[in-house]
Amino acid sequence: MSLKRNFFAGVDVGSLAAKSVILEDGKVFATGLVPSGFDSVESGLNALNLALETAGLKKEDLTYIVGTGYGRVSAPYANKAVTEITCHAKGANFLHPTVRTIIDMGGQDCKAIRIDQDGAVVDFAMNDKCAAGTGRFLEVMAGVFKVKLEDLGALSLSATELVPMSSTCTVFAESETISLVARGEKPANILNGIHHAIANRISGLFARVGITSDVFFSGGVAKNTGMKTAIEEALKVTIVKPEIDPQLIGALGAAVLARNFSKKQGLWS
Amino acid sequence: MPIKTLEVIRKRLEERPAELRKLRESGQKVVGWTGYNVPEEIIYALGFIPIRIAIGGDDRLVEVGGRYASSKNCVFIREIVGVFSENEDPYIQQTDILAFDATCLQNFRAAEVIEYYFKKDVIVLGVPRNFYWEEGKEYFGKEADEFARLLEERAGVALDLAKLGESVALYNDIRKTLKSIYTFQAAKDNVISWVEVFDLIQAGDLLDKKEYLSLLHETLAELRALQHNPIIEVDGSEGRIFISGSLIPRGDRKLISIITSVGGRIVGDDIWTGILPHLDLEIKEISPAGVALGYLNRTPHAALPYLDLESDRRLKKLHELLGEFKAQGVIYHTLRYCDPFTFKAKETKDVLAKSDIPVLEIHTEYAGSDYEALRTRLEAFVEMIKIKAESAAEVIV
Repeated sequence: MSLKRNFFAGVDVGSLAAKSVILEDGKVFATGLVPSGFDSVESGLNALNLALETAGLKKEDLTYIVGTGYGRVSAPYANKAVTEITCHAKGANFLHPTVRTIIDMGGQDCKAIRIDQDGAVVDFAMNDKCAAGTGRFLEVMAGVFKVKLEDLGALSLSATELVPMSSTCTVFAESETISLVARGEKPANILNGIHHAIANRISGLFARVGITSDVFFSGGVAKNTGMKTAIEEALKVTIVKPEIDPQLIGALGAAVLARNFSKKQGLWS
Repeated sequence: MPIKTLEVIRKRLEERPAELRKLRESGQKVVGWTGYNVPEEIIYALGFIPIRIAIGGDDRLVEVGGRYASSKNCVFIREIVGVFSENEDPYIQQTDILAFDATCLQNFRAAEVIEYYFKKDVIVLGVPRNFYWEEGKEYFGKEADEFARLLEERAGVALDLAKLGESVALYNDIRKTLKSIYTFQAAKDNVISWVEVFDLIQAGDLLDKKEYLSLLHETLAELRALQHNPIIEVDGSEGRIFISGSLIPRGDRKLISIITSVGGRIVGDDIWTGILPHLDLEIKEISPAGVALGYLNRTPHAALPYLDLESDRRLKKLHELLGEFKAQGVIYHTLRYCDPFTFKAKETKDVLAKSDIPVLEIHTEYAGSDYEALRTRLEAFVEMIKIKAESAAEVIV
């Protein structure tokens, strides 16, 4: 007699990328990451299908699916929708149970989340109607310097100086950056200033929710090493090294919740 | 089961602007008022028809108002100015005299702008910055006397203290009945929601006061028949939300609709357009200064500076209401540029944290651009307090 295998999926549709994670036996079995398009349903399905393909599974093999991210409001493929704040908390706790604070920097917002030992949210704050400190902001900056988004971090870490940046408003920062380039400042030094300006701005979120070790950095921007270093300096903390791509944490948390919800509903034991 | 009287009230609100027009044609005057400390009883006792000016939720009118007021004024004040600029609101059209108070200085500024640009007859009631000092009480008493005198001039009659006594008794009965009805919405197996009671409270800003009291009594009788003895207790799956912070006027439903759409159950409030102004108002002496003293002894408005957290009556009242309505979390909202609430958000959050009550601080405006961001915050907060309640229930089991 063979026991039925149980697979649980989390799908996180963000503004720039759609991510999915499939869990089995408390381990990450497969992942998928694709750019988000205009259609959030299609984006979520593309990410899920990519993970299913990698795993050699069909959608029918999944016991339960949780949708999250801004696309959670229209995710007909999911059994349940949960906010990304709750999912990032669960995902970080799943990987590192000692984590108590999460910095999540995604495509269109930034969040400070404090959690307890079970990965439940204790408090959180989000940036307010502004692209500062988001993936979109850094995308604009990469465009100004004509470098790839993924190269911004390494470039800023090669800086020899920090050029102060007075604005973190995307529009004003773009024009300020162009002025600084025209003045002869080195791109690496300007980027160093940009990363520190964002990190200082993010510190304000933690003034509202508090900060307790260990600290985890999730979201697409967490792959930017320059941003990570600037945040560590601004918050005077050491960020935990993630075991998987930090952009997948929301989807991972959603998959963990898919496992928990389905167990509670008696779908498996 | 729907409350039949609520349907009657909705119908009466539809008919009310035309009714006001007829009353004005027969010689009666309408006083439009706004402010936390305007003693409506005095307006009523002088034979005026009081209606409250509290309109929000229309970003276009905010833009119109911004042409006259500063863009740094709160969106509520800018919308009020916008409403007077366009003069299309059926209630605003019926106002003869306006009465504003200076509890919030933005309110005072709106009075100045409306008088200057739209040539309205505006009376402003001065309000002391400190309600705790004897000098503050004395000042407010004198301001109330002057407020009554200015209204007497416009009414063409002197204030009759017997009529003021009748007015106070009528308003006291309204407040008492509203408080009784309010308890039902927070109870187990409720047949009336907080949103319906909120609408009911705001209907009183516009309807004839005697008719309104009669409708309140009918509503209460219906509730007693349907719900009997209201028992307020926590159900872990509810997500019992208390709304605190800036006012939510008629027309502004964004925050309320998002909270309910993400599974939160609103069970209480301490907002200026909600139940708060109707609580703890005790008038011991029938005179303008006596009425003013009653207003002054209520929970003060956040716009009045007060630094000692231990003796802050506003925080004390918030704590009391949270306990009474068994709320599990507070949504502390600031209407954009309604600074007093922004300034007090962190200290309120810290004080409530000592009682293990989570607080979500949010900023809103009337534009729809922040709808999704707000929904994410509110949904996550409701998830958070439900998970907390479920964990607590599991520990108890």
